Amino acid sequence: MIKKVLLLVLIIISMSSCVVLKEYEKVNINDPDMVLSDQASNRNVSTFHSYREAAVGANGGKTGGGCGCN
Amino acid sequence: MVVVVVINRIKSMEMNKQILSIIFLMLATLGFSQEKETAYKKRVLETIEVDLLSSFYFQDGDNAAVSGGIGTEELTDLTGTMIVSIPLNDDDVLTIDAGISAYSSASSSNVDPFDGDKPADPFVASSGASQADLWFNFTGIYTHSSDDRNELWSAKFSVSSEYDYFSIGAGGSYTKLFNEKNTELSVNGSVYIDSWNDIYPMELRAFAPGGEELDAALFFYNTISGNENYNPIYQQFDGTGRNSYALGLNFSQILSKRLQGSLAFDVVQQKGLLSTPFQRVYFSDIADSFIENFHLADTNEKLPDSRVKIALGGRLNYYINEFLVLRTFYRYYTDDWGVKSHTASVELPIKISEKFTLYPSYRYYNQTAADYFAPYEGHLSSDEFYTSDYDLSEYNANQYGFGVRYTDIFTKAHIWKFGLKSIDLKFNKYDRSTGLKSSIISGGAKFVMD
Repeated sequence: MIKKVLLLVLIIISMSSCVVLKEYEKVNINDPDMVLSDQASNRNVSTFHSYREAAVGANGGKTGGGCGCN
Repeated sequence: MVVVVVINRIKSMEMNKQILSIIFLMLATLGFSQEKETAYKKRVLETIEVDLLSSFYFQDGDNAAVSGGIGTEELTDLTGTMIVSIPLNDDDVLTIDAGISAYSSASSSNVDPFDGDKPADPFVASSGASQADLWFNFTGIYTHSSDDRNELWSAKFSVSSEYDYFSIGAGGSYTKLFNEKNTELSVNGSVYIDSWNDIYPMELRAFAPGGEELDAALFFYNTISGNENYNPIYQQFDGTGRNSYALGLNFSQILSKRLQGSLAFDVVQQKGLLSTPFQRVYFSDIADSFIENFHLADTNEKLPDSRVKIALGGRLNYYINEFLVLRTFYRYYTDDWGVKSHTASVELPIKISEKFTLYPSYRYYNQTAADYFAPYEGHLSSDEFYTSDYDLSEYNANQYGFGVRYTDIFTKAHIWKFGLKSIDLKFNKYDRSTGLKSSIISGGAKFVMD
């Protein structure tokens, strides 16, 4: 598992060396739907997941503290 | 002669004009570059922004943890949240996040199933005091950005409270951007100091040390059927505190003009009371006792006082064209209670006009059972730890969602001094293989101050 993760990180880092976009080239990247996080309106959905599911974290939501959830 | 003088004068004037033009251009260029430098340090947040979020959640199922893995899981929850982001100066932003949640839970009402009008029954909600509750939350976040906007620091403080739970949290994060803001690396940490109000199932309270046991009023006014010598195990917890320590790393990268991705790693350690004191457990090797239709608890949930959770997730978003964006998410989760889980989701925002975007989505989730889980009457009294909470059972879940967003970049519609920037409305249907079904309608509105 750890090897696969390291391989994935390595691939992403190596891909990153291929491209450095200038600000004016980020029109598509800056589209509001391209944001790399859950949308604000989904917050309560993520919260109910943290109550009903054992898995938490790595999505910007609750990780187990601050609520009576799992 | 006169003509020559005039021509020379004109030439001289033209030269002066040229010189003046050059000086003007230089000044203009200087002025422009100065303006550009000023514009370069743009305010992190131009004006006050307000997000109003609300949701209505409904669920039902037949595996309530409060009644040991059987009984109604019917629950409704109405949540409202206000997030206000205030620019303090060019670099600093203060965010206030306050929310309130009102819920009504049939299973919680069965912490005391004997105080209702109807015969006690795990599949019928009691009408007693534990039927409904309120949850409050307040979070303050202070964020500072460096002059070149390549570094961000933030500090967070939070308080939340409900009838049987209180929490204080603090945390912070540091973010660094590289490669002309094509690469972002951040680290965050948080600590939550929580405490339970240890509420026990009604029938167990009489068996606390020094309790009246079978002489208590509950057993005087109600007749025990089945095993009449009811003698449950009263679980005395060492403490009611629960501390959570979380550390997270996040790496994001622009991969092309249309593709960007991120990786997130979270590790969480929890210590203290990780059991829920009012959740019943029934042992298969202990004779059953009942009052009316309600099976009296053999004991309440007992789980280890420590848990380490590890989650690794990734997002990959692809800008297909001006109408379509593909958003994907995957997460692997494992913990030292034996739970392993995979989560995958895909969302396809479709811009149908300048102002409207549709959001169809699908999410798949599965998990293995915790080592300490067994269904109703699945545990033995000799077990060290036990729970019949189906949130810790093996299952998979499918979630289908659809949403719509209205965006007005010119914020024409107004409420007082605030212009409406966007409105979101979403519906999600969530079906679990255990039989639990839930739906959530969520909405949001974003306002910016003029």
